[in-house]
Amino acid sequence: MQTATAEHAHVATGHGHHGHDGRHDHHEETFLTKYIFSQDHKMISKQFLITGIFWGVVGGLLSILFRIQLAFPNETFPILETFLGKWAEGGKISNEFYYALVTMHGTILVFFVLTGGLSGTFSNLLIPYQIGARDMASGFINMLSYWFFFTASVILFLSFFIQTGPASGGWTAYPPLNGLRDTGVNLGSGLGFDLWALAMTFFIVASLIGSLNYIATVLNQRTKGMTMLRMPLTIWAFLFTAVIGVLSFPALLAGVVLLEFDRLLDTSFYLNNIVINGQLLGYKGGSPILFQHLFWFLGHPEVYIIIIPAMGIVSEVLAVHSRKPIFGYTAMVLSILAILVLSFIVWAHHMFVTGLNPNLGAVFTLFTLLIAIPSAIKVFNWIGTLWKGKIRLSTPALFAIGFVSMFITGGLTGIALGNSAIDIQLHDTYFVVAHFHVVMGVSAFFGMFAGVYHWFPRLYGRMMNETLGQIHFYATLIGAYCIFFPMHFMTGLPRRYYTYANFDTFNNFNHLAVFITVAAIIVFLAQFLFIVNFFYSIFKGRKLEGEYNNPWGGTTLEWTAPVERLHGNWPGDLPVVHRWPYDYSVNGREYIPQTEPMKPGEVAHG
Amino acid sequence: MTEKELLKETTEYTGVHPQKFALWVAMASMTMFFAALTSALLVKKGDYQEWENFKLPDIFTYSTVVIVALSVVIQLALVSYRKAKFFLFRSLLFFSLLLGLLFLYLQVTGWGILTAMGKPLTGNLSGSFIYLITSMHGLHLVVGLLVTIIFLVMAIRSRKDPIYELRNIINPKRQLNLELLVGFWHYIDAVWIYLYVFFYINYQ
Repeated sequence: MQTATAEHAHVATGHGHHGHDGRHDHHEETFLTKYIFSQDHKMISKQFLITGIFWGVVGGLLSILFRIQLAFPNETFPILETFLGKWAEGGKISNEFYYALVTMHGTILVFFVLTGGLSGTFSNLLIPYQIGARDMASGFINMLSYWFFFTASVILFLSFFIQTGPASGGWTAYPPLNGLRDTGVNLGSGLGFDLWALAMTFFIVASLIGSLNYIATVLNQRTKGMTMLRMPLTIWAFLFTAVIGVLSFPALLAGVVLLEFDRLLDTSFYLNNIVINGQLLGYKGGSPILFQHLFWFLGHPEVYIIIIPAMGIVSEVLAVHSRKPIFGYTAMVLSILAILVLSFIVWAHHMFVTGLNPNLGAVFTLFTLLIAIPSAIKVFNWIGTLWKGKIRLSTPALFAIGFVSMFITGGLTGIALGNSAIDIQLHDTYFVVAHFHVVMGVSAFFGMFAGVYHWFPRLYGRMMNETLGQIHFYATLIGAYCIFFPMHFMTGLPRRYYTYANFDTFNNFNHLAVFITVAAIIVFLAQFLFIVNFFYSIFKGRKLEGEYNNPWGGTTLEWTAPVERLHGNWPGDLPVVHRWPYDYSVNGREYIPQTEPMKPGEVAHG
Repeated sequence: MTEKELLKETTEYTGVHPQKFALWVAMASMTMFFAALTSALLVKKGDYQEWENFKLPDIFTYSTVVIVALSVVIQLALVSYRKAKFFLFRSLLFFSLLLGLLFLYLQVTGWGILTAMGKPLTGNLSGSFIYLITSMHGLHLVVGLLVTIIFLVMAIRSRKDPIYELRNIINPKRQLNLELLVGFWHYIDAVWIYLYVFFYINYQ
């Protein structure tokens, strides 16, 4: 036993360096350690990706259900009752369940797909590969990170099947609605919310320990020659994302802890003079606004946690597929840094209508609008990268270009909303729904798709089907605009309503609502093209030929590793880096890998 | 390549082991957590008219002394481990564990004293915050205790095999793990000192 422990410790020491010699031969991989409790970054990346795809389908399906209610508030669909039972009695989604759908849609998409699925997948896959490391700083912590995420997923999924239903007080979990277990009006505030809070706690821990691993790995385990300014922009993006996560998620955790104290231990941190059924409860002195501050101190940086990895992926994919050096590398890095700093001082722009001091509102408006500058720099640089490039319109490139289009569209409305004077008019209307879905929802999805199509060969050693990919792209791009563009013009239509049938004012939006729902269903179905393509290609996709294969002609280190999955990534010594990652179409060459030494007289970029 | 060279390869850029660096990042993260809790207290103290001020029970001063002592003892345990004095190491590690448990006991007794003072958990917010913040600190401490128990069990199980212990001492991974644990304890200690001073200033 003791010897086994010693050997284990020995293996762990050399963990980051497998493959130097035959020492690790005794380290047999079983099915369990290879596929389930794997400490290998590539396998963990796949675990995150597939869990993320599962949640993507669930989250998307929920939105289809509530879109059906919004488009056809007076119709009944008996099939809904067949599947949903008491939640759709008589074939009509109940108001209780409608709110549960919206709440869970938000939670799942924001946290479980676009944070766990996006950051988890690509940080894990690309950080060790692109900086030339054998694995993460701690493979064990990395494994824990996934299994915390998995536990969070199981808890959240189970909450759909309890009698009172899942949380239904909004993904933002505002008290007092979510501050009491028994509100008398909202079933989801009961056990459903406790499960939500528990799932979120596991999720936050998963995200935190994942992030600190990413940071330690990027800062410490870069291979020889990989200076900070020779890192691909993906790595910069993942690094800054992790920094934001590490500093902002604790605030949400604190907010949720206070909330559970109120709910389970009867304190009054957020509750004050609550009256239920005519009865005054004993809570005194709390303030629900305190929760909003804690929530949005994470909540706003969270949108950057979602979008920055997508930005990094897009920067890389655009440069590779337009066969041109990225335009303005340093400006790209500095603008993500600027976004990182600003992201911490803009949270109150979500709270302009909470009675916030207008002078304070002006300060938050200023900082919010300042974010437009680094964002615009990035957009300018992406277009600059495409400009006069030899663009290959492959699926990843299309999604990256689609990202830029979506990000511009959604970013422009952000300038309107960031302004407190305008926001007070637009707050809680579909204009806001349109804004954030376009700028961080659809955009981040496009970034994620670009990444999956681009690095699928790195993940599975096979290519995805190009035709299906192209159809997937055009259907999603056109469909997403059909869903969200009209929402900008549903003037004054309030969010979060179960039905608008009782308001004559909003009658003229009825046809638009049907149009949006139909578009949403088509886009949802189009995603199955991707899923079929993904799983089909894992087993039957076109195989990469040769031991080393670089299907896109990329310069970065992940393409210098053999196609075959190898614990330790490189069979021999780690690659040594001699140049920056964007030497495309220079010196009469199509691309020059980072591992190629500089020629005499050649001018270094990075 | 020797273990030393391997370690060097990974510490080329910052000069510290990546896992130690990760612990520092974790500390920054935990600091944000306690900063959020204490700033929530400040906000409520500022805007709640009926905030009841009272003097912090003395017992929290005693627990401060205990946790500072713990920090010193566990540091000595690390030193004795490095010097291959394993009996001393085991004793000091065991002593740290006792101090940690004593600290927890004092904190829980402190809650009892608060309740007896008429400041129950569900009473005025000024009291609730003390329960909240001390319990969240305590939760971190419990994690430290659990890991310490694992280390202690491993140390005791290997006591009959001096060769094994000597092999451990030259095993950088084992030393590193111990250093990580000791670092975590110093952090828990530092957070408590911050909280103690914070309470001391805000409750008079």
